[in-house]
Amino acid sequence: MGAQESTPRPARPVLACGEVRTCLLPTRDAVDERAAETLLRLRADERVRVSRRPNRCAVSPDVLTGVDCRLPTANGAKVRAIGTVAARAVLTEGRVLQSTAYFAAPADGPDSRRPWGYYLVRPGLLVPVGRLPAAAVAEGFLAGHRPEELDVGSVAESLLARISRAELLDYDTPLNTASTVLRWAARPAPAGSEPSLRFTVGEEGLRTVALRLPEGTAPAAVAGLCEDLALHDWLLTTVGDKLDGVRLGTDDQAAVRKVLGPLVDHLLHLWMPRARLERVLSGLWDALEETPGFTRQWDALAQRIRDQLALRALLARREALDARLTAR
Amino acid sequence: MLVFAASDKGGTGRSVTSANLAYHRALDGDDVCYLDFDFGSPTAPAVFDLPDVLTEAEGKGLHSYLKGKTGEPLRVDVWARTEHPVLRTRPSGSGRLVLLPGDRTGGEFVTDEENLHRCVDLVLRLKREFDVIVVDLSAGRSYAMDLALAATAPRSALARITTRWLVYHRWTRQHVMAAAELVSGKQGIVRAGVAMGHDETALSGAIRFVRAAVPDLQSPLWSQARPEQSVWMHERDRQLEAMAAGLGIGKTRALASIPLEPVLQWREQLITYEDVVDSRVANLETWQAMGDLAQRLGDDKYWGQL
Amino acid sequence: MKGALPDEGTPFRETSAEPPTASVPFSHLSLELGHLYMEDFADGPARLARHFAAVRPWADAVRAGVGPLPGGRRPRISTCFLVDDYFSRLATPAELVPPLLAAAREAGLAIDYLARESGCAAPDPARPGSAPLAESVLHRLVESPPPGSTGYRPPVGRTGWLTNGRRTPSRRTSAALDASDVWQPPSETLARGHSVFMDVELFSGPEDDRTWSCAFLASVWQLARLGLLRDNGRAVLTPVAWDPAAFPADWDALPPVVQLTPGAAPFTAYGTCSVLPGRFLPVEHAVRVVLDQVQLEPDVLDQVARRSAAEEYPLPAGVVERTSYVFPPGL
Repeated sequence: MGAQESTPRPARPVLACGEVRTCLLPTRDAVDERAAETLLRLRADERVRVSRRPNRCAVSPDVLTGVDCRLPTANGAKVRAIGTVAARAVLTEGRVLQSTAYFAAPADGPDSRRPWGYYLVRPGLLVPVGRLPAAAVAEGFLAGHRPEELDVGSVAESLLARISRAELLDYDTPLNTASTVLRWAARPAPAGSEPSLRFTVGEEGLRTVALRLPEGTAPAAVAGLCEDLALHDWLLTTVGDKLDGVRLGTDDQAAVRKVLGPLVDHLLHLWMPRARLERVLSGLWDALEETPGFTRQWDALAQRIRDQLALRALLARREALDARLTAR
Repeated sequence: MLVFAASDKGGTGRSVTSANLAYHRALDGDDVCYLDFDFGSPTAPAVFDLPDVLTEAEGKGLHSYLKGKTGEPLRVDVWARTEHPVLRTRPSGSGRLVLLPGDRTGGEFVTDEENLHRCVDLVLRLKREFDVIVVDLSAGRSYAMDLALAATAPRSALARITTRWLVYHRWTRQHVMAAAELVSGKQGIVRAGVAMGHDETALSGAIRFVRAAVPDLQSPLWSQARPEQSVWMHERDRQLEAMAAGLGIGKTRALASIPLEPVLQWREQLITYEDVVDSRVANLETWQAMGDLAQRLGDDKYWGQL
Repeated sequence: MKGALPDEGTPFRETSAEPPTASVPFSHLSLELGHLYMEDFADGPARLARHFAAVRPWADAVRAGVGPLPGGRRPRISTCFLVDDYFSRLATPAELVPPLLAAAREAGLAIDYLARESGCAAPDPARPGSAPLAESVLHRLVESPPPGSTGYRPPVGRTGWLTNGRRTPSRRTSAALDASDVWQPPSETLARGHSVFMDVELFSGPEDDRTWSCAFLASVWQLARLGLLRDNGRAVLTPVAWDPAAFPADWDALPPVVQLTPGAAPFTAYGTCSVLPGRFLPVEHAVRVVLDQVQLEPDVLDQVARRSAAEEYPLPAGVVERTSYVFPPGL
């Protein structure tokens, strides 16, 4: 038996990247805590973590996918990396399902592939063969992968697909919603500068977030921040789209209620930014509250829905009254 | 709702009618996606007026996805990308209309467990986002059809999704016979489905026929015929109706009848309301028939065992 | 890995779902004294006597190979025997076990722990609601990616097969349409020059009625002996003291692991050695393919590492390297 060290000191990551996919859980009603645990039990021997404050949130154990391929780079540099991508699912209030796949990478690694066990004891770490051009990979990752390059989105999607096959999902959703993809890349902030965040809304449900964070921030904590961002961006997108599609001026009360009703029943109560963020990351939200003002926009949307419903209730009452007066 | 569009032969107007069906459902406010499973001869990009998509789909289309070559099949937002002058302005109150194109050089393939799983995953994923998923299958008992039957079998995760089959045929002796054979014949959909675990009653209750390119003998197009011609045509029409009924695909199992539309004789395209009322190149009856088809597709009254 | 829930340092904390990881005692070595099919037992006591007589000198050699330890301490070694009650049950424990123990004793060997193979496949009767160990291990498989794996690949839980490399691509396209469709050989990842490719069937049958393969259950058995499995943080297959004179008539009435020698060294160990008939060589090759691709809980690995380090008994990082075998002649 060789006298090797059993627990490797993980090399400090200089890069963490991931992708969050956010969608409505395909059921008529939000599911309860038991159902949430059943859905997210990805491992028979590891419990689903459930939190009830300040809202209900269930988090699956991490599951790993092995990869050995080139990383996307902005400058076309060829970088091979080997290791595991971690993935986990989060269910918020039994209603919104998210799946995140993410990895961290150290500045350099061995110059050839090691036995698989070497990577298995470093879960969620992709070890480069040689040196890692962290900035180029971060930029390339956000721009999207080419064929033969690391496909983190597929890892997130296949986790979503695995959960989506569960028998307890009835696929009778109260409203159709588009899924969103939020891709993020985080690098340590340069010495002496503050953590920062750049949020970009792209085409067809794609969002990218470039982060500079305090050295030593855990990749899982960054994933948590990005899940929080993705959830709230998805809420804004979904409610905004629904209001866009509905002809509020129309006399067709039923049609309007058909759209507004489910928003009130299923989505309006979900707004709760920074519900369980590490304090050091929580500050990054402030920038987004400043511009474009996530919560400001949400409040406006929510107010508009409530006003519409109140107005319509008023009109309906008046009509009923008129009808009665006429009948008399 | 998951809709499979099938036909025994090519040239039955299956793709173009299904595309119009998808268009009408979207106009009515449904979120609709259209999957081109007609591997080898994808026509959907042409019908939706998306000339660049054929090239773009190379290696990223449904065929590549099912074979496991790409994790993300290409999606095309029809309202945003079409070069059709009318479609470009998305009508207010309409739903989304998205095309998932096939690869041009895909061709047929043998279904195995893996592409079955991928097919199921894709439909479940689309079901989260869309009200109606229209799947255009290639003509005949294709592998795509076997895949559809296997994917929707009772043990599958898709069993919980309402599934309906539309079988298109032209209004001729040969086409009527072929359509009946495709559904009830020895090699037909129902037998194949039962072999994969489907319940015969439920499956055949989920199949309806769509008559395409039917000459409307009352229309100006045909009413100008000589009296002898007219008598002959009416007689044939009656005989055909009787034959169809005898084969179990009579009026009650026909969900809609799409009249012969001159525009579609020249060009496979979406018939818009503007084509009918503004440029007046298309017939109002065609527009109405497409609308009826779209409406009846979702009306339970027209479905189930007869 | 605990990112989405509050960390320490926050004024509010929920502890609902962070069970501590139970620790288990460790021997230095778990020595397996053979494995037999039910049919072998049917051949009578002479067959068993022959078996243990052949094992004895090799068992002694293995014991001698462990010591001496730093500080002149005596190594802790426990012996075990796994009975296959999963694939067939030709005889009851009352019929089968006493002659087995007698034959071992005859050869001068003591079986400290007796285990049932079903214990690796079925939920533990002592812990209602727990998951079958085989299922837990299945969920912990992380396939070693052949070069070119980008993350888009069918999961092993779906295929039920695990390889040590890359399979021959399946030919499902009709040849006329795909010119790239020529036969390619399978390959072993990290092969030394030439490949020894292996494809291991882990189970058969549908998800709700799986039959686990012998190779996969043997992998679970190795992990259990190495003390590397937990169920929600709790220990698994904890031995139950048992009177060697009283075996029941039903296998299910017997706990999955029973301790027959009072005061024996712990069942779980830093390393394992199995003395097996050569016919099990392919199965154990498959076990190595599986063990190479199981991701164990970091907490558990840390625990074992700390304990062995404290005893100045260094362990290899790879789990596979903690297992060893003897395939003696004439067994």
